[in-house]
Amino acid sequence: MRPIIILTIVGILSAALLAVVDDLTREPIAVAKEQMKRKAIEQIFPFAIDSLNTVKSEQTTFYEAYNKENEIQGIAVETSTDEGYSGTIEILLGVSPDQKILGYKVLFHRETPGLGDKIDKSKFKEQFKGRTLENTNWKVKKDGGDIDEITAATISCRAVANAVVEGLEFINEQYPKSSAE
Amino acid sequence: MNEALNIFTRGFVKENPVTKMLLGLCPVLAVTTSAVNGLGMGLATTFVLLGSNVVISLASKAIPNTVRIPSFILVIATFVTIVDLLIQAFSPELNQSLGIFIPLIVVNCMILGRAEAFASRNRLWYSIIDAIGMGLGFTFALLLLSIFREVLGSGTIFNIPLVGEDANTILVFALPPGAFAGLGLIIAGLNSLEKKMGGKK
Repeated sequence: MRPIIILTIVGILSAALLAVVDDLTREPIAVAKEQMKRKAIEQIFPFAIDSLNTVKSEQTTFYEAYNKENEIQGIAVETSTDEGYSGTIEILLGVSPDQKILGYKVLFHRETPGLGDKIDKSKFKEQFKGRTLENTNWKVKKDGGDIDEITAATISCRAVANAVVEGLEFINEQYPKSSAE
Repeated sequence: MNEALNIFTRGFVKENPVTKMLLGLCPVLAVTTSAVNGLGMGLATTFVLLGSNVVISLASKAIPNTVRIPSFILVIATFVTIVDLLIQAFSPELNQSLGIFIPLIVVNCMILGRAEAFASRNRLWYSIIDAIGMGLGFTFALLLLSIFREVLGSGTIFNIPLVGEDANTILVFALPPGAFAGLGLIIAGLNSLEKKMGGKK
Protein backbone atom coordinates (compact mmCIF):
# COMPACT_ATOMS: atom_id res chain seq x y z
CA MET A 1 0.00 0.00 0.00
CA ARG A 2 2.74 2.44 0.94
CA PRO A 3 4.32 2.72 -2.56
CA ILE A 4 0.95 3.59 -4.08
CA ILE A 5 0.32 6.30 -1.53
CA ILE A 6 3.78 7.80 -1.94
CA LEU A 7 3.58 7.82 -5.73
CA THR A 8 0.16 9.45 -5.52
CA ILE A 9 1.55 12.12 -3.21
CA VAL A 10 4.46 12.79 -5.60
CA GLY A 11 1.96 13.11 -8.44
CA ILE A 12 -0.29 15.48 -6.54
CA LEU A 13 2.61 17.68 -5.46
CA SER A 14 3.93 17.83 -9.03
CA ALA A 15 0.51 18.73 -10.40
CA ALA A 16 0.05 21.44 -7.77
CA LEU A 17 3.43 22.98 -8.53
CA LEU A 18 2.72 22.94 -12.27
CA ALA A 19 -0.69 24.54 -11.74
CA VAL A 20 0.99 27.43 -9.92
CA VAL A 21 3.71 27.89 -12.57
CA ASP A 22 1.16 27.66 -15.39
CA ASP A 23 -0.94 30.32 -13.71
CA LEU A 24 2.06 32.61 -13.27
CA THR A 25 3.36 32.24 -16.83
CA ARG A 26 0.08 32.28 -18.74
CA GLU A 27 -0.01 36.03 -19.15
CA PRO A 28 3.71 36.52 -19.97
CA ILE A 29 3.40 33.79 -22.62
CA ALA A 30 0.43 35.51 -24.27
CA VAL A 31 2.27 38.85 -24.17
CA ALA A 32 5.44 37.29 -25.63
CA LYS A 33 3.48 35.73 -28.49
CA GLU A 34 1.83 39.05 -29.23
CA GLN A 35 5.20 40.81 -29.22
CA MET A 36 6.71 38.27 -31.60
CA LYS A 37 3.88 38.92 -34.03
CA ARG A 38 4.19 42.68 -33.68
CA LYS A 39 7.94 42.47 -34.27
CA ALA A 40 7.40 40.37 -37.40
CA ILE A 41 4.85 42.88 -38.71
CA GLU A 42 7.22 45.76 -38.05
CA GLN A 43 9.96 43.97 -39.99
CA ILE A 44 7.72 43.57 -43.03
CA PHE A 45 6.44 47.13 -43.26
CA PRO A 46 8.95 49.84 -44.20
CA PHE A 47 7.03 52.53 -42.27
CA ALA A 48 6.25 53.29 -38.66
CA ILE A 49 3.10 51.63 -37.37
CA ASP A 50 0.98 53.64 -34.99
CA SER A 51 -1.73 51.10 -34.34
CA LEU A 52 -2.66 47.61 -35.42
CA ASN A 53 -6.15 46.31 -35.94
CA THR A 54 -6.61 42.55 -35.92
CA VAL A 55 -9.33 41.13 -38.15
CA LYS A 56 -10.09 37.43 -37.96
CA SER A 57 -11.72 35.66 -40.88
CA GLU A 58 -12.72 32.04 -41.19
CA GLN A 59 -9.43 30.98 -42.76
CA THR A 60 -6.86 33.36 -41.38
CA THR A 61 -6.02 36.51 -39.45
CA PHE A 62 -5.43 39.95 -40.94
CA TYR A 63 -3.51 42.81 -39.35
CA GLU A 64 -4.29 46.30 -40.56
CA ALA A 65 -1.48 48.76 -39.90
CA TYR A 66 -2.43 52.42 -39.44
CA ASN A 67 -0.27 55.53 -39.25
CA LYS A 68 -0.78 58.46 -36.87
CA GLU A 69 -3.39 60.06 -39.15
CA ASN A 70 -5.34 56.81 -38.90
CA GLU A 71 -4.87 56.01 -42.59
CA ILE A 72 -4.35 52.40 -43.50
CA GLN A 73 -0.74 51.85 -44.61
CA GLY A 74 -0.60 48.14 -45.08
CA ILE A 75 -2.28 44.83 -44.46
CA ALA A 76 -0.53 41.74 -43.17
CA VAL A 77 -1.99 38.27 -43.43
CA GLU A 78 -1.05 34.89 -41.99
CA THR A 79 -0.77 32.16 -44.56
CA SER A 80 0.73 28.71 -44.65
CA THR A 81 1.43 25.74 -46.87
CA ASP A 82 2.08 22.07 -46.23
CA GLU A 83 4.10 21.70 -49.42
CA GLY A 84 7.48 22.57 -47.92
CA TYR A 85 10.33 20.12 -48.21
CA SER A 86 9.82 19.16 -44.54
CA GLY A 87 6.21 20.03 -44.00
CA THR A 88 4.51 23.21 -42.96
CA ILE A 89 5.82 26.68 -43.77
CA GLU A 90 4.02 29.59 -42.12
CA ILE A 91 4.37 33.06 -43.56
CA LEU A 92 3.29 36.53 -42.59
CA LEU A 93 2.70 38.45 -45.83
CA GLY A 94 2.51 42.23 -45.94
CA VAL A 95 0.93 44.26 -48.75
CA SER A 96 0.27 47.95 -49.37
CA PRO A 97 -3.35 49.18 -49.53
CA ASP A 98 -3.27 48.72 -53.34
CA GLN A 99 -2.25 45.11 -52.71
CA LYS A 100 1.35 45.25 -53.86
CA ILE A 101 3.65 43.05 -51.82
CA LEU A 102 5.83 44.94 -49.35
CA GLY A 103 7.51 41.86 -47.99
CA TYR A 104 7.05 38.68 -46.01
CA LYS A 105 8.51 36.95 -43.03
CA VAL A 106 8.71 33.23 -42.41
CA LEU A 107 7.15 32.55 -39.02
CA PHE A 108 7.75 28.83 -38.95
CA HIS A 109 9.55 26.33 -41.13
CA ARG A 110 11.52 23.11 -40.90
CA GLU A 111 13.38 23.39 -44.21
CA THR A 112 16.93 22.11 -44.56
CA PRO A 113 19.43 24.41 -42.85
CA GLY A 114 21.71 26.03 -45.40
CA LEU A 115 19.46 25.20 -48.36
CA GLY A 116 15.73 25.55 -47.86
CA ASP A 117 16.07 28.01 -45.01
CA LYS A 118 17.28 30.60 -47.50
CA ILE A 119 13.59 31.33 -48.13
CA ASP A 120 13.88 33.65 -45.13
CA LYS A 121 16.97 35.46 -46.46
CA SER A 122 16.74 38.88 -48.05
CA LYS A 123 18.28 37.82 -51.36
CA PHE A 124 15.33 35.57 -52.14
CA LYS A 125 12.70 37.77 -50.51
CA GLU A 126 13.73 40.91 -52.41
CA GLN A 127 12.15 39.73 -55.68
CA PHE A 128 8.66 39.61 -54.16
CA LYS A 129 8.50 43.36 -53.59
CA GLY A 130 5.93 45.16 -55.73
CA ARG A 131 4.42 41.98 -57.13
CA THR A 132 0.64 41.55 -57.25
CA LEU A 133 -1.70 38.68 -57.99
CA GLU A 134 -2.12 39.97 -61.55
CA ASN A 135 1.33 41.20 -62.63
CA THR A 136 3.14 37.96 -61.92
CA ASN A 137 3.16 34.40 -63.16
CA TRP A 138 3.29 32.77 -59.72
CA LYS A 139 5.43 29.78 -60.61
CA VAL A 140 9.13 29.28 -60.14
CA LYS A 141 11.29 29.76 -63.24
CA LYS A 142 11.81 26.02 -63.51
CA ASP A 143 8.04 25.62 -63.98
CA GLY A 144 7.92 28.51 -66.46
CA GLY A 145 6.98 31.26 -64.01
CA ASP A 146 8.55 34.49 -62.75
CA ILE A 147 9.92 33.47 -59.36
CA ASP A 148 13.65 32.97 -59.29
CA GLU A 149 14.18 29.82 -57.24
CA ILE A 150 17.15 29.05 -55.02
CA THR A 151 19.41 26.36 -56.42
CA ALA A 152 18.86 23.04 -54.63
CA ALA A 153 15.80 24.41 -52.84
CA THR A 154 13.17 24.45 -55.59
CA ILE A 155 10.55 22.70 -53.48
CA SER A 156 10.88 25.23 -50.66
CA CYS A 157 10.64 28.14 -53.12
CA ARG A 158 7.62 26.63 -54.86
CA ALA A 159 5.94 26.27 -51.46
CA VAL A 160 6.67 29.88 -50.54
CA ALA A 161 5.28 31.10 -53.87
CA ASN A 162 2.10 29.10 -53.29
CA ALA A 163 1.73 30.42 -49.75
CA VAL A 164 2.21 33.99 -50.99
CA VAL A 165 -0.46 33.49 -53.66
CA GLU A 166 -2.82 32.14 -51.04
CA GLY A 167 -2.13 35.16 -48.86
CA LEU A 168 -2.82 37.53 -51.76
CA GLU A 169 -6.07 35.71 -52.46
CA PHE A 170 -7.10 35.97 -48.81
CA ILE A 171 -6.48 39.69 -48.91
CA ASN A 172 -8.30 40.09 -52.21
CA GLU A 173 -11.31 38.32 -50.76
CA GLN A 174 -11.35 40.30 -47.54
CA TYR A 175 -10.56 43.67 -49.13
CA PRO A 176 -12.03 43.64 -52.66
CA LYS A 177 -10.00 45.92 -54.89
CA SER A 178 -12.90 48.12 -56.01
CA SER A 179 -13.43 49.35 -52.47
CA ALA A 180 -9.74 49.98 -51.88
CA GLU A 181 -8.51 53.44 -52.81
CA MET B 1 35.92 20.39 0.44
CA ASN B 2 38.27 18.28 -1.61
CA GLU B 3 35.48 15.78 -2.10
CA ALA B 4 33.17 18.55 -3.33
CA LEU B 5 35.75 19.82 -5.81
CA ASN B 6 36.25 16.29 -7.03
CA ILE B 7 32.50 15.83 -7.58
CA PHE B 8 32.32 19.14 -9.42
CA THR B 9 35.19 18.61 -11.86
CA ARG B 10 34.19 15.01 -12.53
CA GLY B 11 31.23 16.24 -14.59
CA PHE B 12 33.55 18.29 -16.76
CA VAL B 13 36.29 15.87 -17.67
CA LYS B 14 36.42 12.38 -16.23
CA GLU B 15 32.70 11.64 -16.45
CA ASN B 16 31.53 14.31 -18.87
CA PRO B 17 28.02 13.14 -19.82
CA VAL B 18 28.54 13.82 -23.52
CA THR B 19 32.19 13.16 -24.32
CA LYS B 20 32.78 10.31 -21.85
CA MET B 21 29.46 8.74 -20.89
CA LEU B 22 27.75 9.46 -24.24
CA LEU B 23 24.49 10.06 -22.41
CA GLY B 24 21.59 12.20 -23.56
CA LEU B 25 22.77 12.27 -27.15
CA CYS B 26 19.37 13.09 -28.65
CA PRO B 27 19.55 16.80 -27.75
CA VAL B 28 23.31 16.82 -28.30
CA LEU B 29 22.94 15.77 -31.92
CA ALA B 30 19.65 17.47 -32.72
CA VAL B 31 19.90 21.03 -31.43
CA THR B 32 23.58 21.81 -31.91
CA THR B 33 23.11 23.53 -35.26
CA SER B 34 23.78 26.93 -33.68
CA ALA B 35 25.68 28.12 -30.63
CA VAL B 36 22.64 29.88 -29.20
CA ASN B 37 20.65 26.65 -29.37
CA GLY B 38 23.46 24.64 -27.80
CA LEU B 39 23.87 27.09 -24.94
CA GLY B 40 20.11 27.37 -24.39
CA MET B 41 19.65 23.61 -24.36
CA GLY B 42 22.64 23.14 -22.03
CA LEU B 43 21.40 25.67 -19.50
CA ALA B 44 17.81 24.38 -19.63
CA THR B 45 19.11 20.87 -18.96
CA THR B 46 21.31 22.13 -16.12
CA PHE B 47 18.30 23.78 -14.50
CA VAL B 48 16.24 20.59 -14.72
CA LEU B 49 19.14 18.53 -13.40
CA LEU B 50 19.63 20.86 -10.46
CA GLY B 51 15.92 20.81 -9.60
CA SER B 52 15.59 17.06 -9.85
CA ASN B 53 18.82 16.36 -7.94
CA VAL B 54 17.74 18.63 -5.06
CA VAL B 55 14.25 17.16 -4.75
CA ILE B 56 15.37 13.56 -5.16
CA SER B 57 18.22 13.94 -2.71
CA LEU B 58 15.80 15.32 -0.11
CA ALA B 59 12.97 12.87 -0.79
CA SER B 60 14.86 9.68 -1.57
CA LYS B 61 14.46 8.24 1.94
CA ALA B 62 10.68 8.65 1.79
CA ILE B 63 10.33 7.01 -1.61
CA PRO B 64 9.99 3.20 -1.55
CA ASN B 65 12.33 1.32 -3.84
CA THR B 66 9.52 -0.16 -5.94
CA VAL B 67 8.20 3.20 -7.16
CA ARG B 68 11.60 4.87 -7.30
CA ILE B 69 11.88 5.25 -11.08
CA PRO B 70 8.31 6.50 -11.71
CA SER B 71 8.74 9.04 -8.92
CA PHE B 72 12.04 10.27 -10.38
CA ILE B 73 10.47 10.62 -13.83
CA LEU B 74 7.54 12.56 -12.35
CA VAL B 75 9.91 14.96 -10.61
CA ILE B 76 12.00 15.40 -13.77
CA ALA B 77 8.92 15.91 -15.95
CA THR B 78 7.67 18.57 -13.56
CA PHE B 79 10.88 20.56 -13.80
CA VAL B 80 11.00 20.17 -17.58
CA THR B 81 7.48 21.57 -17.88
CA ILE B 82 8.46 24.50 -15.66
CA VAL B 83 11.49 25.24 -17.87
CA ASP B 84 9.32 24.92 -20.98
CA LEU B 85 6.78 27.42 -19.66
CA LEU B 86 9.49 29.84 -18.50
CA ILE B 87 11.23 29.79 -21.87
CA GLN B 88 7.94 30.35 -23.67
CA ALA B 89 7.22 33.31 -21.42
CA PHE B 90 10.60 35.00 -21.28
CA SER B 91 12.57 33.93 -24.35
CA PRO B 92 10.18 33.41 -27.27
CA GLU B 93 13.07 33.43 -29.76
CA LEU B 94 14.74 30.52 -28.01
CA ASN B 95 11.38 28.80 -27.80
CA GLN B 96 11.05 29.06 -31.55
CA SER B 97 14.37 27.42 -32.27
CA LEU B 98 14.44 24.81 -29.49
CA GLY B 99 10.71 24.11 -29.72
CA ILE B 100 9.99 20.42 -29.39
CA PHE B 101 13.37 19.56 -27.89
CA ILE B 102 12.62 21.14 -24.52
CA PRO B 103 9.87 18.63 -23.60
CA LEU B 104 12.27 15.90 -24.70
CA ILE B 105 14.62 16.75 -21.81
CA VAL B 106 12.34 14.43 -19.81
CA VAL B 107 13.81 11.43 -21.57
CA ASN B 108 17.40 12.66 -21.34
CA CYS B 109 18.86 9.62 -19.65
CA MET B 110 21.66 11.70 -18.14
CA ILE B 111 19.18 13.32 -15.74
CA LEU B 112 17.57 10.06 -14.66
CA GLY B 113 21.08 8.60 -14.47
CA ARG B 114 22.25 11.27 -12.02
CA ALA B 115 19.06 10.89 -9.97
CA GLU B 116 19.47 7.14 -9.73
CA ALA B 117 23.24 6.90 -9.42
CA PHE B 118 23.99 9.98 -7.35
CA ALA B 119 21.22 12.15 -5.90
CA SER B 120 19.24 9.29 -4.36
CA ARG B 121 22.34 8.12 -2.46
CA ASN B 122 24.05 11.33 -1.47
CA ARG B 123 23.55 14.34 0.72
CA LEU B 124 21.85 17.48 -0.58
CA TRP B 125 25.05 19.53 -0.71
CA TYR B 126 26.91 16.98 -2.83
CA SER B 127 23.87 16.47 -5.06
CA ILE B 128 23.77 20.19 -5.82
CA ILE B 129 27.46 20.22 -6.73
CA ASP B 130 27.01 17.10 -8.82
CA ALA B 131 24.11 18.70 -10.73
CA ILE B 132 26.04 21.90 -11.42
CA GLY B 133 29.19 20.03 -12.47
CA MET B 134 27.37 17.58 -14.72
CA GLY B 135 25.09 20.30 -16.10
CA LEU B 136 27.93 22.64 -16.96
CA GLY B 137 29.93 19.76 -18.41
CA PHE B 138 26.94 18.95 -20.60
CA THR B 139 26.57 22.63 -21.57
CA PHE B 140 30.28 22.88 -22.32
CA ALA B 141 30.18 19.89 -24.65
CA LEU B 142 27.05 21.18 -26.39
CA LEU B 143 28.58 24.61 -26.83
CA LEU B 144 31.78 23.16 -28.26
CA LEU B 145 29.90 21.02 -30.78
CA SER B 146 27.42 23.74 -31.72
CA ILE B 147 30.11 26.38 -32.30
CA PHE B 148 32.03 23.88 -34.43
CA ARG B 149 28.91 23.09 -36.48
CA GLU B 150 27.68 26.66 -36.76
CA VAL B 151 31.01 28.06 -37.93
CA LEU B 152 31.58 25.35 -40.54
CA GLY B 153 27.98 24.67 -41.51
CA SER B 154 26.40 28.12 -41.57
CA GLY B 155 29.41 30.44 -41.51
CA THR B 156 28.16 32.28 -38.42
CA ILE B 157 28.94 32.29 -34.72
CA PHE B 158 26.22 33.19 -32.20
CA ASN B 159 24.30 34.28 -35.33
CA ILE B 160 26.99 36.83 -36.22
CA PRO B 161 28.00 36.22 -39.83
CA LEU B 162 31.66 35.39 -40.43
CA VAL B 163 31.27 35.23 -44.20
CA GLY B 164 28.87 36.80 -46.70
CA GLU B 165 25.29 35.60 -46.97
CA ASP B 166 25.96 33.91 -50.30
CA ALA B 167 29.19 32.18 -49.35
CA ASN B 168 29.23 28.42 -49.70
CA THR B 169 29.64 26.75 -46.33
CA ILE B 170 30.30 23.12 -45.50
CA LEU B 171 26.62 22.26 -45.41
CA VAL B 172 27.04 18.75 -44.08
CA PHE B 173 27.94 20.14 -40.66
CA ALA B 174 24.58 21.87 -40.42
CA LEU B 175 22.82 18.60 -41.25
CA PRO B 176 22.40 15.53 -38.99
CA PRO B 177 25.40 13.56 -40.36
CA GLY B 178 27.63 16.51 -39.43
CA ALA B 179 26.49 16.18 -35.84
CA PHE B 180 27.85 12.65 -35.64
CA ALA B 181 31.08 13.55 -37.41
CA GLY B 182 31.54 16.67 -35.28
CA LEU B 183 30.91 14.81 -32.03
CA GLY B 184 33.40 12.12 -33.03
CA LEU B 185 36.07 14.69 -33.85
CA ILE B 186 35.51 16.56 -30.59
CA ILE B 187 35.70 13.39 -28.49
CA ALA B 188 38.88 12.38 -30.30
CA GLY B 189 40.35 15.85 -29.78
CA LEU B 190 39.52 15.96 -26.08
CA ASN B 191 40.83 12.44 -25.50
CA SER B 192 44.17 13.17 -27.13
CA LEU B 193 44.42 16.45 -25.23
CA GLU B 194 43.75 14.63 -21.98
CA LYS B 195 46.34 12.00 -22.77
CA LYS B 196 48.98 14.63 -23.45
CA MET B 197 48.22 16.52 -20.25
CA GLY B 198 48.13 13.31 -18.25
CA GLY B 199 51.55 12.34 -19.68
CA LYS B 200 53.14 15.52 -18.41
CA LYS B 201 52.00 14.88 -14.86
